Amino acid sequence: MFRYVLRRLMLAVPVLLGVSICVLLMASLVPGDPATVLAGDTASAEQVERIRRDLGLDQPIPIQYLRFLERLAHGSLGESTRTHREVLLEITDRFPYTLALALGAVVVSTILGIAMGIFAAVRRGRAADYLTMGIAIVGLSVPTFWIALLGIIVFSLNLHWLPVTGARSPQSYILPIFALSLHSAAVKARITRSSMLEVFGQDYLRTARAKGLRERVVLLRHALKNALIPISTIIGLQFGSLLGGAFIIETIFGWPGIGRLAVQAIFNRDFPLIQGTVLVGAVTYMLANLAVDIVYAWLDPRIRYS
Amino acid sequence: MPRLLSVVPLVFVVAASCGAPAPAPAAETTSKVGGSVTFVAMTDPDTLDLHQTSNPVSSTIFGWIYEPLVYQDLDNSYKGLLAESWTVSPDSKTITFKLRGGITFTDGSPFNAEAVKFTFERLQRLGAKSPIFETFKNVTSMEAKDDLTFVMNMKDPYAPIFHDLQVSYAGILSPKTVRAANDNISRTAIGTGPYSLKEFQTGQQITLERNPGYKWAPALYQNRGAPYVQELRYRVIAEPATQLAALDAGEVDVLGLRAQDLAKYANDARFRVYDSFTFGLTYLGFDAKRPPFDNAKLRAALARAVNKAEIVQVVFENKLAKAQCCPIAESIQGYDTRLKEFELTFDPARAKAELEALGYKAGADGLRTMPDGKPFKPVLYTTTSDTHGKIATLLQAQLKGVGVDLQVKQLESGALLAATPKAEHDLYLNGYSWNEPDMFSLFLSCDRVTSSNRVLYCNGDLEKLIKAGRTELDQARRMQIYYDAQKLTMQEAPWQPLYMPVSKTAVNAKVLDLKQGQAGGLYWHDAWLKK
Repeated sequence: MFRYVLRRLMLAVPVLLGVSICVLLMASLVPGDPATVLAGDTASAEQVERIRRDLGLDQPIPIQYLRFLERLAHGSLGESTRTHREVLLEITDRFPYTLALALGAVVVSTILGIAMGIFAAVRRGRAADYLTMGIAIVGLSVPTFWIALLGIIVFSLNLHWLPVTGARSPQSYILPIFALSLHSAAVKARITRSSMLEVFGQDYLRTARAKGLRERVVLLRHALKNALIPISTIIGLQFGSLLGGAFIIETIFGWPGIGRLAVQAIFNRDFPLIQGTVLVGAVTYMLANLAVDIVYAWLDPRIRYS
Repeated sequence: MPRLLSVVPLVFVVAASCGAPAPAPAAETTSKVGGSVTFVAMTDPDTLDLHQTSNPVSSTIFGWIYEPLVYQDLDNSYKGLLAESWTVSPDSKTITFKLRGGITFTDGSPFNAEAVKFTFERLQRLGAKSPIFETFKNVTSMEAKDDLTFVMNMKDPYAPIFHDLQVSYAGILSPKTVRAANDNISRTAIGTGPYSLKEFQTGQQITLERNPGYKWAPALYQNRGAPYVQELRYRVIAEPATQLAALDAGEVDVLGLRAQDLAKYANDARFRVYDSFTFGLTYLGFDAKRPPFDNAKLRAALARAVNKAEIVQVVFENKLAKAQCCPIAESIQGYDTRLKEFELTFDPARAKAELEALGYKAGADGLRTMPDGKPFKPVLYTTTSDTHGKIATLLQAQLKGVGVDLQVKQLESGALLAATPKAEHDLYLNGYSWNEPDMFSLFLSCDRVTSSNRVLYCNGDLEKLIKAGRTELDQARRMQIYYDAQKLTMQEAPWQPLYMPVSKTAVNAKVLDLKQGQAGGLYWHDAWLKK
């Protein structure tokens, strides 16, 4: 297992290099360069040229990439062209907030999704099943920003329970996490329901019941553990989209996360910061999926990595 | 992209006093001190380094922390702030500033001529991103003659120098702090202003705290000492709906309103709505370098198809904008009502006749073709802002009325800035914000056709007037030059001036004694909070 993890981590290196090349190429294709944006709408052509030179943007793209690699070898992602701070510092200032949001949403959506899925599976074909899955469809269909704004109106403006913006208190985490969770909870509810229904038909479940085990034990220990494999795949995949989707939630709730940082970096053509945020996103995504693969082995002892 | 430079809304505006400071009675002062006011910022300030940004949020923060040598008074005249007085040499190339004594930076070091020299030399060295970088290219040398005498020598006389010296980017830095930080002051800000930086929470909030040692407040205010409000906060909220919710929930105290929100807040006892003009103008420009809009007659014909009153009514509900006749907005020095007779007023019949005469004939569908028979489909470039989107749609309808099939392309600001020098557009919708008639040199001069002159208009006669306006120090003669420059621009029509934005700001009713300026902002130094 250890060797497997090591191999996966080593494989990540070429993937990340590939990602960094793609980001550089894509960023250079976007119209408008950092110098133009930084100089603003009153700058002279000479001013723009000087900024371009100062930032090394007058160099060919391969040279710019080599410089990036050179800095990376020294443990630096470079300096933001906009804020003049180390990219790593910009990211470490903000990443914990997005991570808290994404992890919170993973936990909430998993608990909520699995609970709804089991509830619906057990009551298959009955009103409770239709009602639960109906709620899941609503969760899938309603846009996240709408849920977020509705949450603000009800819980902040009408009930005065929760703050509207910022990440200054534990209460301020509640609305953003719930708003971000609902969509993925709905997906997980539907997957859980169908996985559970598949498992319900298996012989070992009949055996468990025949042994006289209590229904709760049958459901949670025998059925759910086996049904969890597709769900854990979804958790890994969704983690990435939760990180990415956090941008909308971060904008609405004035959340100081990395999603907003990345989008601002794109608007500002802040290449080092774009590169940094994308790389951090890629690393997080890969680690999340590696964690899912490890969880597979725990869920199903037949799965072994060598 | 309209950018607020000279005066940002709600900036703390300070004015100089001639007499000695006379602090308000101690008991009254103490009872008023305290509390906090929270503003909204669309984004973080990118950096707090005064010389490495042109960002409007940074500029607003600088307005509280730093003070420049001069300020622009309500009557648009320039008065001393950190400078007590100044003299200009007969050749107008040397300005000698007598600085105010007894002023200290919030790091305890004294303000003196050395600090001014240090600041402006740093600007020359590092300030390529600063809006006043070009100004200081004209400055050949600077000298700290004695502790309180600062001399600035210029290559050529430069009339807008006082405007450029009063913007927040021209604040004076503490050399002690800058040296201690090894020149890296992206998160450090030490000035002489009424507030100092308390905390910078990335992506969330900037907190400023009252400078208790501040005692050089200007005569404009009753309060001549430190401000009453203990803390100012700038909360970063990008989403307009959330900004309103935060205002309603009391998390934010001050917010600029959109037209659709005005009625609600005007009738809400929890808030007071303050009006102010802005020092800027939004215009419809034509790419004057490239055919077919290199033809002034065609530009004028299309300009006559534009109904400014309808734009102001439909997009701004007649509340958040005022239609303008002339290139210099009515809030800016140089505006002259005599110029109204040259305005290309809305006259669709005349626009049609002029288009016909130019060979742009209408087809069976009512749409015109170019003299060579090709369809006439000019492309308008503008920003992605909602307001510009609405105006562009309205312009489409108005031009269709005279048979012109206008295409609209909304570009994100970085892409727009890159596209215009390449003359990809036919028409251009945007604004400027610059409280000086010398805006001509930025937006309509030949020197700037590859950069900030987004209509690529270059006219030898106008160029002479622009150069004359920059060097003429006699106020009356200078205003005549800008009268001529505006008249020429209106006749040549590279721009059709549209409107001046008006801002309406909701302020929590707990804020008392907030002064409403004649133009360009609110004056906070007397303001205090109801306990």
